[in-house]
Amino acid sequence: MKILRRYAILFFGILLIGSCSEKQDFDQLEDLQIMPTYETSVFYVKAQESIINRVTGLNFFSQDFNFDAFEEPFFAERVRSGVLSYTLENTTSKPIEITLEFLDPNDIVLDTEQFQMTAAPTAMIMREVAYGTTGKSLDIIRNTSKIRLTARNLGDNSTTSNLPDPAIILSSSAKFTLEL
Amino acid sequence: MSLSRWFSLFCLLCGSALFAQNKELLYDFNEIPQALLLNPGMETDFKWFAGVPLLSGISGYVGSNGISVNDIFADDGIDINVKFRERALDVLRPRDEFSATLQLEYFTGGFRAANPSIFYSFGGYLEMDNITYWPKDYAALLFDGNADQLNRRFDLSDLKSRGSAVNVVHFGINKYMDRNLTLGIRGKLYSGIIDYSTTSNNGYLVNTEGQNNILATTLNADMRLRTSGIQALDDANDSGSLSNTFLKRAFFGGDLGLGVDLGFTYHLSERTMITGSVLDLGFLYHANDAKSYSLDGSATIEGIQINVLEDFANLNRDFWQDLVDEVETLVPFETDTNGYVSFRPTKLYGSLRHDFGKPEGGSADPIDCDCTATAIGRGLRSKYRNSVGAQVYMINRPRGPQMALTGFYTRRVGNVLAVKATYTADKFSYTNIGLGLNLQAGPVNLYLLADNLLSYQNIAASNYASFQFGLNIISWGRSR
Repeated sequence: MKILRRYAILFFGILLIGSCSEKQDFDQLEDLQIMPTYETSVFYVKAQESIINRVTGLNFFSQDFNFDAFEEPFFAERVRSGVLSYTLENTTSKPIEITLEFLDPNDIVLDTEQFQMTAAPTAMIMREVAYGTTGKSLDIIRNTSKIRLTARNLGDNSTTSNLPDPAIILSSSAKFTLEL
Repeated sequence: MSLSRWFSLFCLLCGSALFAQNKELLYDFNEIPQALLLNPGMETDFKWFAGVPLLSGISGYVGSNGISVNDIFADDGIDINVKFRERALDVLRPRDEFSATLQLEYFTGGFRAANPSIFYSFGGYLEMDNITYWPKDYAALLFDGNADQLNRRFDLSDLKSRGSAVNVVHFGINKYMDRNLTLGIRGKLYSGIIDYSTTSNNGYLVNTEGQNNILATTLNADMRLRTSGIQALDDANDSGSLSNTFLKRAFFGGDLGLGVDLGFTYHLSERTMITGSVLDLGFLYHANDAKSYSLDGSATIEGIQINVLEDFANLNRDFWQDLVDEVETLVPFETDTNGYVSFRPTKLYGSLRHDFGKPEGGSADPIDCDCTATAIGRGLRSKYRNSVGAQVYMINRPRGPQMALTGFYTRRVGNVLAVKATYTADKFSYTNIGLGLNLQAGPVNLYLLADNLLSYQNIAASNYASFQFGLNIISWGRSR
């Protein structure tokens, strides 16, 4: 038994004397930031000139669209900043005004974005709207439940552009940073 | 619960949840009865043995080949976000693994048959195992997102993980065929307590330039997660009957399976032998509380798209909901409760051993005869004071077989002590030195085996830590 005890002590002794560890601080996990930025398209609207010519009056198009993406709790609770990017292209023969209104569930307008374009030929309008600390309030995004799109024909109802497939096209994408 | 907390839970599971461990110290350590579990064809000279319940065999291992606890959690004043990016996100690859195993033997025993060339052994143990590969592109999506990465395909096949908790009851026969050859076989009955696996995922997520809108986002997914027992244990936890449900599932009230271990020892000469074994050639059929989840399909979206001319008559429809419905139709998330089969992680051991030095027992010249195999007669093949050799270990893993090579030296000091030292090279470490002690005090047998001893200088910086110990009562039926 003596020798058994001696070797057991030796074994554990080697392990205990030899084993140590640098100081660890597991509380650092609290400081770990997970803040990814995601990007995707949001909406795309195309109104052909033939439609614009068919509608008399200034507003040739006005429509509310349900848009629940920003209201989803996973997104709304975690979004920290973001940018909405718009591209507007007008190949019609008339000047156009586009208004985007961000509405909450009670149809209260939270924010408005307006674009005016002269008749073709014209360059594309590209606009980036920031939300968060360096831009507009994030509450606009968080509370948006609908988007109202209004298009006004500031020209006539008879001329047609000689460009192929004349239309007013609004494209958009969103890039948002979340804190997970 | 914030995602960083979920992430820490993931790290904890990876770090402490538990995969079949390479037991290079225990393998071919003939003085320890539990070595029969690694090679049922091991040479034995016990008359009988009985493990001390719950203490006869406890082993575990934690391994992570790409990163250590110290890399992230060292109290070194460096921002954890910097450390995590430089030591994990930027360098870990999808083949880097986090794995662990815990095995607890709750009973074991063995006895020599009336025919002394046959030795029977039996027992039961609980085994929990887990392996998760670093989900590189998922981590990139989680920490960085997909912004400003046009045309980058985030690979959904990076997710590979599986784990289980299984109760194993086994019975083995070890047969001394002749003076040179010993064969063994062990039958196993598996009772699955919990199981999950998601190992054959495919697909990608990518942003490309849109045809109409600015971006097109494509999800192409063929993913599946199979689970069993999770719902039952969760429900039991809620109702306060977790231990009952755990025990019920552990003792054949859950998923059932069968397996077999095979092994041999063959003497090339009096002092040189080769051994080999294949373990856990088996499967489990998960039919009790099985639940699988799948995501299969492909969809490309460019956001809400309104073509006023085409949609003029239907502009009041809910474009957002239609988009959500379209994606859900194209890439349906489905669940089913169909049973499934999982295969046990099959392991392979082999060794070449050469004995030298004085034979234990005193005789300088070992008797070389073709004696009748008896418990005593078998002892005529002497044990030598020293053994040296090489071992190989392979295990079947979700990303293909993994291998470890070991060189070992064993020293026997009388009948009281045997010491085995190993050097192992594998994907976890090239500096893995292990030491095992087998102590024999009369009938009481105690063994202690520990791996990767050099890492004990700073255990937190280790990529691999492993231990095994146990307590047995052994009889040789003769004076040793």
